[in-house]
Amino acid sequence: MSGTNTRTGTPTSLLDRAASAPVDAVARVNRLHRRRRTRFALVCAALALVAAAALTLSLAVGDIYVPPTDVWAVLTGGGDPGSRFIVHELREPRGLLALAVGCCFGLSGAVFQALLRNPLASPDIIGVSSGASTTAVLASMLFGLSGLALSGGALVGALVAGTLTYLLAWRGGVSGGRFVLIGVGVGTGLVSVRSYLMTRADVTEAQNAFLWLTGSLNGGRSWNQLWPLLGCVALLVPLTLLASRGLPALQLGDEAAGGLGVRVERGRLALLACATALVGVATAAAGPIGFVAFVCPPVARRLLPGHGAALLPSALTGAALTCLADFTAQHILPGTQLPVGVVTSVVGAPYLLWLLSRTNRAGRGG
Amino acid sequence: MPTPTSAESGKEKTVTKVPTGSTGTEATPTTEHTLGARGLGLGYGERRIVQDLDVDLPPGRFTVIVGPNACGKSTLLRALARLLNPTAGTVLLDGRDIHATPTRQVAATLGVLPQTPVAPESITVADLVGRGRHPRQGFFRRWTTADSEAVTAAMLATDVLDLTDRSVDELSGGQRQRVWIAVALAQETEILLLDEPTTYLDISHQLDVLDLLTDLNRERGVTLAVVLHDLNLACRYADHLIAMKDGRILAEGAPSEIVTESLVHEIFGLRSTVIPDPASQTPMVVPLGRHHVPGTAADVTGAAHDATGTAHH
Repeated sequence: MSGTNTRTGTPTSLLDRAASAPVDAVARVNRLHRRRRTRFALVCAALALVAAAALTLSLAVGDIYVPPTDVWAVLTGGGDPGSRFIVHELREPRGLLALAVGCCFGLSGAVFQALLRNPLASPDIIGVSSGASTTAVLASMLFGLSGLALSGGALVGALVAGTLTYLLAWRGGVSGGRFVLIGVGVGTGLVSVRSYLMTRADVTEAQNAFLWLTGSLNGGRSWNQLWPLLGCVALLVPLTLLASRGLPALQLGDEAAGGLGVRVERGRLALLACATALVGVATAAAGPIGFVAFVCPPVARRLLPGHGAALLPSALTGAALTCLADFTAQHILPGTQLPVGVVTSVVGAPYLLWLLSRTNRAGRGG
Repeated sequence: MPTPTSAESGKEKTVTKVPTGSTGTEATPTTEHTLGARGLGLGYGERRIVQDLDVDLPPGRFTVIVGPNACGKSTLLRALARLLNPTAGTVLLDGRDIHATPTRQVAATLGVLPQTPVAPESITVADLVGRGRHPRQGFFRRWTTADSEAVTAAMLATDVLDLTDRSVDELSGGQRQRVWIAVALAQETEILLLDEPTTYLDISHQLDVLDLLTDLNRERGVTLAVVLHDLNLACRYADHLIAMKDGRILAEGAPSEIVTESLVHEIFGLRSTVIPDPASQTPMVVPLGRHHVPGTAADVTGAAHDATGTAHH
């Protein structure tokens, strides 16, 4: 194996050389794979730590400061009754809500972007979130629904918007670019419906709806509100990861994936359904917190270049980001609590602009 | 060690599956799979492209499909690779309807390199080639040394081992095409279908790809079906040539037996002279256009120009 540049003109068969694949080359490929796995695990662990730190921070800081050691004592089942009440009853539902919602948005965005091969294909841009929020506004204003029924409405809305987009984009198969464009169209339509409903509402109703539409974790969050969400997350996240088995092949294009033995349409439909349901569940719980699903996947991919979709890291990034953003929203202005969606938008909007300008320059895009 | 000189390539009709001495540990296939179609009808929506077509790929041979643009050759290849559902008839893999066979099972026998596969952003060569192992991996089966060996062998055969940890985005067109062929090789199938694998490659890389495919065919008995645009390379490398037009097969067989001036005219509507390829003795099609060919009606003025300029004939 003096060198591989003797390719052209050599009479010897390339396969002869391949058959005697040098042991060190195999070892090198093996090593590369091990290193990728290690790096993946390390990044995931680091992101999980950041998320845990963010949670601790949001549990510790507030009107009454609880030292992190006491927070951990409460979390592990101990602690004095005072800090137990503050941490466990008052702050923990909100903190866990932020983590769960962020995890859903991060995972969903990563699935959409990888599947549709488009960095703009995030649920807040392609109308899935608009579907959830429009039906939620509809449900609360016209039918006076609240609580779990309202959440169910939002979930149904996300699924309807997703299905509508899928059906309209279907032409013997679904391509990424068309899905994004039709999704934007569906989203715009739904937003106008929503705006119309808002103009018909009285002031307090509209204000409440508007707060919800910005994406907010404010207000009395209790464990009772949290359990349905946690149940859905516990179901949907493993389901999504299971459905993502064919994703590495699907990323190579429909034909290559089909050649590799993936059922293309079925696999894609399963993933889109999972991702849509994740958005619906999260939006139902906290409103359409903007840009989390959009920003987290590229951050995760940047941390793990060349690792494909990076679903799990994106979910963890979403959890950490949402928790930190909510902490910021609570404490950045003394005396006022901002909706978390304001903070995530401050992060996300510049990224969207940067991405759009870069995309145009490279001549690609939706 | 069989080291065919270029003069005999393409002419040899016995499939050489010689266990190549000390190096050829995986050279002999145990079974020969068959792939063909009966009464095949293909189309997209309302548009019918292929109707009532019967075809068989000779096992262990290098089949090349040629024809003008939009003649249905890529469509046929996609159908044979079960990427397209037939509107009529069946595609048969080992005598069974390919659509009735689990697709993962098909993927263990039949590999396909489509015309325009997509490389995910910033993916490395090793990772991309590794994705060719997808059909070999179960739900919870992790990466094994066997996978590494297959990936290494595929990268070595296609001469991309030096690029292992490079990003596919940074590669040249020729390198990228070789990486994609490595993806198909890593799948380790006994039938391989390739749709214009030499497009976008310069002439030297075209020959590299075709030589590599010939190696695969001769040493591992891999059954090949390749769509090519270059008639002369097709004639040189094919054991079996399938000439298509308007969704029908006009002629098939050994290139030296079927390629004539009238066939070329029938398929491409092109006047030509067919002469023996000086290197391989296979048919070589010399196309005749309206210009630069003395004696053609349109080139009365051009003939005089030719006489001074390019009169080598």
